[in-house]
Amino acid sequence: MTPNLPIILPQIILAAGGILAYGAGAFLPRKRGLPFTIAMLTVAAALLAALPGVRAAGEFAGLVDISPFSRFYTILLALITLLALLFLHPYARRRNFDHEVLYGTLLFGALGMVVLAAASNWLGFFLGFELLSISLYILIAIRREKEISYEAGIKYFIMGAVASSFLVFGIGLLYAGSGTLAIAASLRSMNSAGAAPLALAGLGLILVGTGFKLSLVPFHLWAPDVYEGAPAPITAFLATGTKIALFAFLLRLTRGQAINEFLWPVLWALAALTMIAGNLTALAQQRVKRLLAYSSVAHMGYLLMALLAGGDHGLAAVMFYSVVYGLMDLAVFAALGLMSPEDEDLNLLEECRGLGYRHPLAAGLLALGLLALAGLPPTGGLVGKFLLFTAAFRAGFTGLAMIGIVTSIVSIYFYLKVITALYLQAPEAPEPRPLPGGPAGSGKLAALLLILGLLWLGLLPQGLLEAIDRVIVAL
Amino acid sequence: MNSLTLLSVIVFLPTLSAALLLAMAKHGAFCRWLSLAATGAVLLLVTALFWLPGAAGPGPWSMGGSLPWMSRFGIEYRLSCDSISLLLILLTALLSLLAVLVSWQSIRVGRAGRAGVHLFHASLLLAETAMLGIFLAGDLFLFYLFWEFQLLPIFLLIGRWGHENRIRAALKFLLFSISGSLFMLAGLIGLYLAHGTATGRHTLSLAALLGTPLDPAVEPWLFAAFAIAFAVKIPLVPIHTWLPDAHTEAPKAGSVILAGLLLKTGAYGLLRFAFPLFPAAAAGATPLLLILGVAGLGYSTWIAMAQKDMKRLVAYSSIGHMGLVVMGIAAWNSTALTGALVQMVNHGITTAALFILVGMLDERAGSRNLADFGGLWRSMPVFSGFFLLFALSSLGLPGLNNFIGEIMILLGLFRTWPVLATLAFGATVLILVYVLRLVQELLFGPGPAATGRFEDLTAREIVILLPLAAGTVGIGVYPLPLLRMLAEPVRLLLAGG
Repeated sequence: MTPNLPIILPQIILAAGGILAYGAGAFLPRKRGLPFTIAMLTVAAALLAALPGVRAAGEFAGLVDISPFSRFYTILLALITLLALLFLHPYARRRNFDHEVLYGTLLFGALGMVVLAAASNWLGFFLGFELLSISLYILIAIRREKEISYEAGIKYFIMGAVASSFLVFGIGLLYAGSGTLAIAASLRSMNSAGAAPLALAGLGLILVGTGFKLSLVPFHLWAPDVYEGAPAPITAFLATGTKIALFAFLLRLTRGQAINEFLWPVLWALAALTMIAGNLTALAQQRVKRLLAYSSVAHMGYLLMALLAGGDHGLAAVMFYSVVYGLMDLAVFAALGLMSPEDEDLNLLEECRGLGYRHPLAAGLLALGLLALAGLPPTGGLVGKFLLFTAAFRAGFTGLAMIGIVTSIVSIYFYLKVITALYLQAPEAPEPRPLPGGPAGSGKLAALLLILGLLWLGLLPQGLLEAIDRVIVAL
Repeated sequence: MNSLTLLSVIVFLPTLSAALLLAMAKHGAFCRWLSLAATGAVLLLVTALFWLPGAAGPGPWSMGGSLPWMSRFGIEYRLSCDSISLLLILLTALLSLLAVLVSWQSIRVGRAGRAGVHLFHASLLLAETAMLGIFLAGDLFLFYLFWEFQLLPIFLLIGRWGHENRIRAALKFLLFSISGSLFMLAGLIGLYLAHGTATGRHTLSLAALLGTPLDPAVEPWLFAAFAIAFAVKIPLVPIHTWLPDAHTEAPKAGSVILAGLLLKTGAYGLLRFAFPLFPAAAAGATPLLLILGVAGLGYSTWIAMAQKDMKRLVAYSSIGHMGLVVMGIAAWNSTALTGALVQMVNHGITTAALFILVGMLDERAGSRNLADFGGLWRSMPVFSGFFLLFALSSLGLPGLNNFIGEIMILLGLFRTWPVLATLAFGATVLILVYVLRLVQELLFGPGPAATGRFEDLTAREIVILLPLAAGTVGIGVYPLPLLRMLAEPVRLLLAGG
């Protein structure tokens, strides 16, 4: 059977764009803006290629499964990459690291996410997973002269290596126990006639590996350090893209599989722990990036709750919240990047005082992102929370949903702490550290787009909800 | 123009103006004029509604409509207005306009910083939209959206333009409110799913949800989830502790919005949503609500007697009055419920006026401490006249507005709960003690020499107080039109929504 190349067009475009960007740096080093232009065009082309109606669905070489579902996630991830690029460009340019390695690697990272979200085979899954991880090791430490970034890169690498070894071993065991590498088939083999303990152990190890990358409690301890150390726009890309791609994969894993009965108690506990520990730890943080890191940990718990709820409603809730989560986490980290002085990213809560008046747009973006994270109107956060909790209550997870509601109340306090600093407190030092010079045009454009997006999801979500329904029907 | 469009214009005109304000951050002086124009236009539109055929009459009247919104979840954009809503949006529109006027001098470019003024007025306008939306929403999700949305502008108003401990007070206010409202979200989802299971149709439209058959084991929990959210706002003792702080620290306009409108949203939620949606559970909770109401009335009166800060004193008196309103709602008969509605309007007028007057003194003297004043009757006769009028109204003098509401609540209550009604009556008599002490020390007693130098009210300030004074006397002397227009919607509420 000849591989059906056209159906993986977005993946091909991303890979080709990455190579082109590297090449542009090697052969045309004087054209400073070229790698960025290539990256933008590549992601835009990949986005267009993934739009519905362009290609037929099908499986490619047994590795990835191109369906409306994976297409939905391809579009979402490409959109996130596009916005991250818009934020990254002025940030990197002002700090002189806007070279081809940055953009080329980012494109490969995006490719990894897209492959991961569409994987139908454990090898395809591992391929995407590693492609994404290796790109991120580089991106986090891309400012080698920065000690904190370097440290964060090493931490992420060590953690990633551990996670990968868990994954490889788990995949091996699962293969030995089920005799197949196709994800669906290997899971099906488990619920017929008494699951092979070997395969079950393999699946457990795989979940530990993904748990690390998703920063589920208790595998989350790396997250605050890495989020803090990486340049803010990279953190934005890392915090949103990785998590969304992995959740797309988990959705596929849990969809219609009877195997869930083994894992439910474990996942239940993971979700509860993640919501509780994530939110409670965030309460104590004095640095904004760490606070947001714990908040994003806690949000993994909310998503896991809806994933557990399962069914069409749980699936729709996770898909909708993936979009909301992507926009709001991108918003908060990118906004920090927009307001950061050159030498060091904005991080201390005291430094944020009064910024709401000095940088109306960036601070407005941060505030709106925080409101969305807190689940307050008029943002998509409220609609998303409504969907998540409705799915959980509907599936009978009343206890888990109540934990979610109580921890959301706790979370309001630390989100408000940041908003209070931005708008209610007078700046401590009369003269703030100046922002680096240079154009910020694309960052402002992306900020406006994100603000509109968050409001759109909060006030007119019907279009997206219907699109999600169509995707689910096609599954 | 159909009625949905008209109501939408009323609700979102302030939002549009707020967006305009935020876009023109650089023109500080222009902001207050735009804000005034927007609130004035809303007031005109709401007043115009009274001339619609039947609107202020005794018969059944309502207007509104709906548009599909999130049809996937049976959520629609539905606004509906009956005479109760009409009365409350009139109060909202009036007090919002006054809130702009009372801030005319105090929130200025110079004091709040160049970037502050537009944000202040934008917050006021957004708060107005939220309140109007709360009183008009005919869909639970829409209601919840406005309900949560009202918190942010008020949080900003208190936290940015308040007094010394403003940030702490603002955070306390917001955390109390959100703790309550997230439980309401859980209750809302529970009701939504229960209705869907029972009828096969998932919807959040209020009209459709009324009369949902509920499992008797579940209903009290759902009722409690809603009631907690409303009780925080009202506020019922013992979850009232945010209110004295928030009121004391808020700027004048913030106090007007808080006392005049925000507390009403809690009582409105109770009578429009919690009671009609869960009649059995509400009946079961009546004794508890009555006891909390009378306890709040007595307790707050007792605490008010010890207050030295005038704003705090008025704040505690607010808790007491709202306790009485809750008793009127909980009694759930036509006399008491009508009384509670009248009292909601009265309290909005009187307490807002008292906060405005205390704020005016604060502007002149830089103090709200009762001990710093005395003998104002000689130096500020106009101020003193207004103050005496609103103070007397607050203690329930016959012929002024509060008397009508209080007597109706007590009469309605007495029929079924004579003991509690007697206790409540006793507590209202005690209000006399602290209000008379306030009046005596402030207006007539001997005071520091400095109080003689204060300038009397300016024309702007008199214009602010006149409509409130007119309402106080008007409702007190001739309440019949008000009672007539409330009769039919109250009957409908008692009959199950």
